[in-house]
Amino acid sequence: MIFWEIAKRNLRIHLLRSTLAMLGIVIGVVAIASMGILGNTLVLSVSDSLHTVGDSVIVSPYTGGGSGFRQGGGVGSTSLKITDQQYQQIKRAVAPNIAIPVLQTSDIMKLGVGSDTIVAPIYGLNPDDVPNLMKLKAGSYSRSDSGILVGSTFATDHNVNVGSRISIGTDGDKGTLRVTGIIEERGISFDISTDSAVVVTQNWFDTTYNRIDYDTVVVKVDQGGDSAVVKTTIEKQMNKRDKVVSVMDSKATLATIFTAFGAITTFVTAIGGISMIVAGVSIFNIMMMSVTERIKEIGIMRSIGTQKREVMSMFMFEAAILGVVGSVIGGVLSIIAGYAISALLLNTTKYLFVWSSAIPIIEGVCFGIVISLACGVYPAWKAANLIPIEAMRHE
Amino acid sequence: MNEYPVMVFKDVVKVYPLPSGDVTALDGINFKVERGEFISIMGPSGSGKSTLLNLMGCLDTPTSGDIYISGTRTGDMSDKELTDLRRDRIGFIFQYFNLFPLLNIIENVTFPMMLKSQKAVDPEKGRSALRAVQLDDSLFTHTPMEVSGGQQQRVAVARALINDPDILLCDEPTGNLDSKTGAGIMELMSELNRKGTTIIMVTHDPNIADYSRRTIRIADGRIVE
Repeated sequence: MIFWEIAKRNLRIHLLRSTLAMLGIVIGVVAIASMGILGNTLVLSVSDSLHTVGDSVIVSPYTGGGSGFRQGGGVGSTSLKITDQQYQQIKRAVAPNIAIPVLQTSDIMKLGVGSDTIVAPIYGLNPDDVPNLMKLKAGSYSRSDSGILVGSTFATDHNVNVGSRISIGTDGDKGTLRVTGIIEERGISFDISTDSAVVVTQNWFDTTYNRIDYDTVVVKVDQGGDSAVVKTTIEKQMNKRDKVVSVMDSKATLATIFTAFGAITTFVTAIGGISMIVAGVSIFNIMMMSVTERIKEIGIMRSIGTQKREVMSMFMFEAAILGVVGSVIGGVLSIIAGYAISALLLNTTKYLFVWSSAIPIIEGVCFGIVISLACGVYPAWKAANLIPIEAMRHE
Repeated sequence: MNEYPVMVFKDVVKVYPLPSGDVTALDGINFKVERGEFISIMGPSGSGKSTLLNLMGCLDTPTSGDIYISGTRTGDMSDKELTDLRRDRIGFIFQYFNLFPLLNIIENVTFPMMLKSQKAVDPEKGRSALRAVQLDDSLFTHTPMEVSGGQQQRVAVARALINDPDILLCDEPTGNLDSKTGAGIMELMSELNRKGTTIIMVTHDPNIADYSRRTIRIADGRIVE
């Protein structure tokens, strides 16, 4: 097609200005796509860190007021607790979902003769409930009060293995327990965070810290169950008169977090979009320049039988070439930019080569092409609608 | 062969509305151009020659009156139809050649053919047209800026004739050439006319007008002779 050829040659003749216009699109695409990649990498990285085994609902004492809580004991424990009676109410309300009572404190530990003492969180759980909350990467679950499970980070940091012994309390006055298993890494979690903690039996915990009330109750919602319904059920049951418990739906909280990340990603991408608008203005300017320079040529074309739509197509081809070439180059460069940003800001590039990271690149490329074409429409329309005899007189 | 006259003007009036008042460029123009004629239009500056040529070339529309091209009334035609008419039935030759600088000689010549066929055309047709206007083969792939004025005008003639138009409209075809080159172009036009091409030429040069077989003189927007 001759008009495609003319468009190509015109861009080639004005190589510098064509390149500069294209550069604007390249920058715009890179800005949009790399910001999108960064946001996506952030979301993937956070969702990998947030551990949820299915949906869970976490019930904790309401700290803003209320009554019916007993004072708890132990180092670092909170003053408000969930009583066993309240736990039983929760358990009945959420059945057949499993309600797991959790005891929590922190204490001094010593990992062997001559080693330093450390302070770490301690969870007390019923041995039957442990497999419902966590998986082991080594060893086995313990039913004995003399056994203890340790988190993966705890094990790595303190060189603890299955069979190691841990003394708890000042000078080990609360007892020495044998490590039976290493807990699989769980990351940041809504229910319990075990990576840097230890897990003992509920019985040992009760005996040692003289505790009979619980810090939280974790309800594991069955597959197919609705965590929002479970949350409402608990609130209706427990907060009839006064608000005595706070109920958190992990799924809803996760959704809120991702919505916030989505908003941040949209915002930074929109900032990238501004550079694309600037690039579009540059394309518009160059197209108008091209039309102005070629008014007489357009007049001659029209006089010897070129239709308006053919003149329009000639200029739209120019805009399309600038847009497609600039956007594709921008798309390729945005992979490099995304790699660099992810490596520098998040210290990982493992989320770069996944489908969801390709979406911002595709969006950036498409946006670049659409902006270029949109900014070419008016100049092309103006060229097509020039009056031939007036255009031919133009000098 | 079309039995109608190539061009008929009936009571054609062209008025340009200006803020300072209407200007009548053409006032009651009547003439007929038969197939195979070679007509020159002469007149002083501002007499209406260019306006007449624009109307003949369907680049402008009359204020009143009718224009027929090969029996087709142009007054009711849409922009698209008029553009098709210019492409298929009228060939233009301009004083300043008006070739496309981005295209080479052959592409310039075959451009109207491509417009008509809407596809790539055989470059051999362009070569034949260029040989018919006595342009050397070695110049065919050059750009217009790489050849002389006379050679550019030969290319323009070849381009104007490539779609085998009913009529060739020439606006001062030798106005930008030296006398020797201009004479060469006029010899070429005469030769084309002898072969049957209808030519209407606007000129202010009586020596150039001598190549035609009929002269229409125009003054103050009216045909005077």
